[in-house]
Amino acid sequence: MRKSCKLFIAISILMLLGPGLFAGGASEVETVSADAEKILTIGVDQEAIGLDPHIVTAFSSHRRIDLLYNRLVRLDENLSVVPDLAESWDIPDNLTYIFHLRKGVKFHNGREMVAEDVKYSLERVLDDKTASPGRSYIALVSSIDVMDSYTVKLTLSAPLASLLNALTSNNLSIVPREAVEANTNLQKVAVGTGPFMLEEWIPDNSMTLVKNPDYFEADSPKVDKLIFRVIPESASLLSGVKSGDLDMATINDGATIRQANGISQVRVQSKPGINVRTFGFNTTRAPFDNPLVREALALAVDRDEIIALAEFGMGSPTGPIPVSAKKWALPLTELPFSAPDYNRAKALLTEAGYPDGFTFNIVCSSTYEGGLDVAQVIQNELKNIGVTAELEVVEWGVYIDRWVKRDFDSMVEIRGGSGEPDRFLYRTLHSSGGVNNFMFKDAETDRLLDLGRSQTVPEERKATYDELQKVLAEAAPVIFLYSPNENHVIGPRVTGFKQVGNGSLYYIAETSVK
Amino acid sequence: MGRYVAKRLLSLIPVLFGVSLIIFFLVRMIPGTALEMYMGTQVEATPEQMEELTRLFGEDKPVFILYTEWLGDIVQGDFGCSLRTGRPVLPDIMARLPLSMELTFFSLFLALVIGVPLGIASSLHQNTFGDFLSRVTGLLGLSLPQFWLAALMVMAFSGFRGWIPMGNYVSLFEDPVRNLKMLFLPSLSIGIGFAAVVMRYTRNSMLEVLQQDYIRTAKAKGLKQRSVIYTHALKNAILPVITVTGFNVGYLLGGAIVVEEVFALPGMGRLSLYAIYQRDYPIIQAIVMIIATIFVVVNLITDIIYALADPRIRLDDTAR
Repeated sequence: MRKSCKLFIAISILMLLGPGLFAGGASEVETVSADAEKILTIGVDQEAIGLDPHIVTAFSSHRRIDLLYNRLVRLDENLSVVPDLAESWDIPDNLTYIFHLRKGVKFHNGREMVAEDVKYSLERVLDDKTASPGRSYIALVSSIDVMDSYTVKLTLSAPLASLLNALTSNNLSIVPREAVEANTNLQKVAVGTGPFMLEEWIPDNSMTLVKNPDYFEADSPKVDKLIFRVIPESASLLSGVKSGDLDMATINDGATIRQANGISQVRVQSKPGINVRTFGFNTTRAPFDNPLVREALALAVDRDEIIALAEFGMGSPTGPIPVSAKKWALPLTELPFSAPDYNRAKALLTEAGYPDGFTFNIVCSSTYEGGLDVAQVIQNELKNIGVTAELEVVEWGVYIDRWVKRDFDSMVEIRGGSGEPDRFLYRTLHSSGGVNNFMFKDAETDRLLDLGRSQTVPEERKATYDELQKVLAEAAPVIFLYSPNENHVIGPRVTGFKQVGNGSLYYIAETSVK
Repeated sequence: MGRYVAKRLLSLIPVLFGVSLIIFFLVRMIPGTALEMYMGTQVEATPEQMEELTRLFGEDKPVFILYTEWLGDIVQGDFGCSLRTGRPVLPDIMARLPLSMELTFFSLFLALVIGVPLGIASSLHQNTFGDFLSRVTGLLGLSLPQFWLAALMVMAFSGFRGWIPMGNYVSLFEDPVRNLKMLFLPSLSIGIGFAAVVMRYTRNSMLEVLQQDYIRTAKAKGLKQRSVIYTHALKNAILPVITVTGFNVGYLLGGAIVVEEVFALPGMGRLSLYAIYQRDYPIIQAIVMIIATIFVVVNLITDIIYALADPRIRLDDTAR
């Protein structure tokens, strides 16, 4: 025992010395190479789940694909469609799209990208066996014809005015056939045409991308190396930018952004995003099968209060079309049932047969997407008209399960919006829409949605969607609340980063570090 | 001793079988399936696509058949592939296990080197201000949730570059100094609560032992205070501390899982959290099986240490 006693004392001494020992090492650990390579380190809260552009559904995977692959067309920072791999396009009629490709674009394996690759990629997406989430975006494409090496023609079975916007989706990236065939799929490799190439991927730790020296945009990318670090906690992400371990970070959490605003070493870049926070009803369940009840609730909701309390002010009130889609979105003042009016709401409830209000549940989850904070504010606001909302706070997996099974009275959600009204609203509210889990069926809404997707004259389309926004605000199957800001916390070394608004990191290619 | 160890290791088989049964059916009882998580709320798919995905996610077969298939595979050492990443499960877990184990043992080490000396000191100066202070501090350490302490440390130390790992984790073998420096705060946030437990056990146990006759005899025959405490009292008082330590290794591992998330350490914790969120059944199942094995082995090691520390205990019947 004497021996173990000595050991014990030795350990105790070691422990006392321990922290000092570690602290002493601090100065010599970090050695930053000043010149040579320019490295940009970006912190993200989630690891990518696979890299196959045609297969992935995870937001985190899309953010890597932004930089590894290209699409025929892409969105710029104003959410307008601009050339990407296609230099230009002709639309001879509303069923035919002809794309003229850039010449000399090379895949990361060195081979030139040609029209055959476009045909292969889109057909892979359309193949049911690929199970691509992008299939629904181009389901109306009936044939893809290679006219010559740099020209490809898409023929539609029915008009789809939003096709160009759909083609900006990462799920419709252009990939080389040989890479797919060599690896079964592209989940673990990246052979794109994008500004960066995959160098190393240590799952749950980091992903290193290096500059593509053959990238078709001159002077791009501006850094030699891009490192993604996965840090799940938003407070830790902020700490990373503050301490200089990270150059920038994508942060959703409003409280952390507010904290970042008070730190001099970092700056916050924000703009209204394209997603929409919604409060939607199961329109097949009483009392929400009655439009009067839905209208009454719409009149009881105060968007500004929700943004102030649940998002720390970091969002913009919106109607059915995300406010950032400036070309299409009508201001809320022009939409019915979109400003609080408790007396009118109570009158509507009385008319609907609920003079003393009623009780219902709101399914929500404590993840950001699950909108617990928003549900709490709504719960409180509805007290003003005598309606009792019971929050059913469930784990994220249960939440999705309830969503899939349409098992809710009402639900707070975040919906992936689009700068193109057809792409967002058709699937969300058409009676045949794939994500119309409000089970909303309305002849007028269907008519306007079908009309809008077939129109090619911009003024005519605008008139259709203006009318649709009013119809939807009045029918209120779902209350569109606000678009959360897209936030990036940026350190002092970084210049030239631009936000797209849909979360895309495309402009990292034009970002430089000092 | 050898026979005893072999017997105990054999008992792993029924334990793991039971665990496999429970975990396999339990994870499938949680609402929401891996396929639903994969699709999320934003994706549209045709019925044909859904059929293909159902097949890919292995949801086209009855759960009992799936269980027997899985059991057959793990007996052969094949834990299957992740439903989300498609990567084999075992190498992914093994790549992360060392970090979680290191974190667990580092925090255990910190807990012991803080808790035992404090417990001894506290018992020797019973009911003094110092005793009172360390007891209150101990209670505080016991009451603070690990994740909260961890979050607090992240905020407090974020100005010190290199103290908080920011995804640039290095293993113990690559760069020991940097590794230990990075793990110090996470280990402290896990270990501090357990240090309080150790302190209280040591103190109570010491107080009990110090009142026994043989201690009075030792003092009476003129032994030095040091010798009485360290050679005679501590030797007996430490036994319950060993027991409680063995039991708690599992809980420390659980703490490591939460704290890894806060400090962004790429250990098993993040893998399992992610797997639970995504309903990635093969990963959850494999992690639970591995943790169950660790639990049994650690308990065995505890028993062996116990026998070494206390000669009155014989593990092996044949050794008598």
